[in-house]
Amino acid sequence: WLVEYNAALASICFMILLGFVDDVLDVPWRVKLVLPSFATLPLLMAYAGHTTIVIPKPLVAYVGLEVLDLGRIYKLYMGLLAVFCTNSINIHAGLNGLEIGQTVVTAAAILIHNVMQIGSSTDPEYHQAHAFSIYLTQPLMATSLALLAFNWCPSSVFVGDTYTVFAGMTMAVVGILGHFSETLLIFFLPQVLNFLLSLPQLAGIVKCPRHRLPRFDPATGLLTGTKDGTLVNVYLRLFGPRSEKSLCIHLLAFQALACAFCFLLRHFLAGWYK
Amino acid sequence: MTARKRTSSVTNSENPLPPPKKTTIASADDFHLAPPKLGVIFVISSLLCSLYLYLLCFHYNVDSELKRPILINAGLSLVGFFVTLKLIPVAARYVLRRNMFGFDINKRGTPQGDVKVPESLGIAVGIVFLIVAIIFQFFNFTEDSLWLVEYNAALASICFMILLGFVDDVLDVPWRVKLLLPSFATLPLLMAYAGHTTIVIPKPLVSYFGLEILDLGRIYKLYMALLAVFCTNSINIHAGLNGLEIGQTVVIAAAILVHNVMQIGASVDTEFRQAHAFSIYLTQPLMATSLAMLAYNWYPSAVFVGDTYTVFAGMTMAVAGILGHFSETLLIFFLPQVLNFLLSLPQLAGIVKCPRHRLPKFDPATGLLTGTKDGTLVNVYLRIFGRKSEKSLCIHLLVFQALACAFCFLLRHFLAGWYK
Repeated sequence: WLVEYNAALASICFMILLGFVDDVLDVPWRVKLVLPSFATLPLLMAYAGHTTIVIPKPLVAYVGLEVLDLGRIYKLYMGLLAVFCTNSINIHAGLNGLEIGQTVVTAAAILIHNVMQIGSSTDPEYHQAHAFSIYLTQPLMATSLALLAFNWCPSSVFVGDTYTVFAGMTMAVVGILGHFSETLLIFFLPQVLNFLLSLPQLAGIVKCPRHRLPRFDPATGLLTGTKDGTLVNVYLRLFGPRSEKSLCIHLLAFQALACAFCFLLRHFLAGWYK
Repeated sequence: MTARKRTSSVTNSENPLPPPKKTTIASADDFHLAPPKLGVIFVISSLLCSLYLYLLCFHYNVDSELKRPILINAGLSLVGFFVTLKLIPVAARYVLRRNMFGFDINKRGTPQGDVKVPESLGIAVGIVFLIVAIIFQFFNFTEDSLWLVEYNAALASICFMILLGFVDDVLDVPWRVKLLLPSFATLPLLMAYAGHTTIVIPKPLVSYFGLEILDLGRIYKLYMALLAVFCTNSINIHAGLNGLEIGQTVVIAAAILVHNVMQIGASVDTEFRQAHAFSIYLTQPLMATSLAMLAYNWYPSAVFVGDTYTVFAGMTMAVAGILGHFSETLLIFFLPQVLNFLLSLPQLAGIVKCPRHRLPKFDPATGLLTGTKDGTLVNVYLRIFGRKSEKSLCIHLLVFQALACAFCFLLRHFLAGWYK
């Protein structure tokens, strides 16, 4: 237990260090993409769990196996998950309170999931894994809420890359060591959506400006969506101009809906899927 | 305590709503770092590492199962050396762009005193060290989960210390907080320390105590935490000359490596050997990355190390000493630092007035340093032995450090039978 905990602490601490160095020195984005991989290495070493995935029942006939051992590819998947989590919160940002807001909504969903799993299972190792996730998510939740008190619209402080990468890494760590990374990915649905929308610009196919924020009109105080490929802009284009606070609340409600959808999905697919 | 005059703090303005303003520093593009002094480094490395390597490879018949990871670690450290060498000029550019620089006080009055020297390059060393240390885990395939616990706890402690050091360099944390923070950084270490908390009573005192072995329990853990706080801060205050901070670190690191390999060679207890090998796994990367930085920091310094480096180095050595179970030996290696601390006590405690920098006085005409009345080893040395140039003084102090380490080995040799 201590191995996993210390590896988690080392990974998260290294991520905070890299985030702060980035905030101070403005590290080029290519480096920013690679660095979380190094920060996850202690985690991958300490991960002593199974690297198998359960083949969904409908596909068993095609694959011919019920359980597939991915071995090293599973560790690669874990590394990529961490890189994804840390960066995706970073790009789904730009409104007062959005970064911390999405983190606490997802954290609440994680805590509920953990306690549901603990309640409905009798395997002590399974309990331990989800309790482990709670031990890291509760502090994340509490400290983030304190920061949100200053960061909620209108923001008196900004969180910086330091916070977004720290939050992303912590949630990736709990997902990996708590053995519920697929569930975590569905909680991250808005972030995945945002990432997919951003792909053309990130890949350089479409021109990518320094900030891809919506346009602010000082006269009306409303934000209008630009043609940039972010969830923020797409939402504004679909639902019309909004004030910043209202838009943020809408996006957080969307995050909560995505998490609720995940719980529904797990409920229905429980018997059929696995 | 760093001896460089800090001018402006880091400015970081980012507003998501209005368009961002780009701040450009005119000199960033035409900034060239002085080339690394590789010749000096080669000499220093040979002096420090030759004894260790000779003992490791030829003198002692080290078990090959233990030797392989040590050599792999040495190889990784060598890679770390070159990576750090390449990284420092890049990092220096970024750091200067953020106005993190200092002026060399010991060159005030000469043209060199007006050069903006990049600060806090310890961050480059720290990051490379962490990456080397993390990657090494993959090469040491032991089933031993205890080893992994201690190693990860060590990484967490050192990483937290680097973070706190860098935050201090950027934000200028008040010294009372600086004193307290290393205690938090050592907590993962104290949790993971699964060794004995007993001390062996020196034979002459057994009759008084009535016991041969005294179990200190929690007090031992308190001692370990205080040791870490002491190590991190003592290197910080025994500073101020070009190359002194890194210099003292590499001398002590060499002594640690020699001590480790001697203990491995002289013992048959597996756990004992593992503990000293553990210390080697942390000290070799420290040595390699520090030497790379020294190439730029040796007189005249092209970069400054910042508090980031001094607390990182102090913490790493404290961790090696604690988890390698040779903390008393480590303290004797730290004799000059202890001396410096005792000399500084009156000023640190506020009994005697304590100025911002307690550096010797520099005379631009002669280029020599004169000792002031401040209570530091640097000043006391100058008052006893007369004025010196900065480079010569630094070399003298490093030789003194090496002598203290040699004295420690002598002491252990003579007291071995009598003391314990």
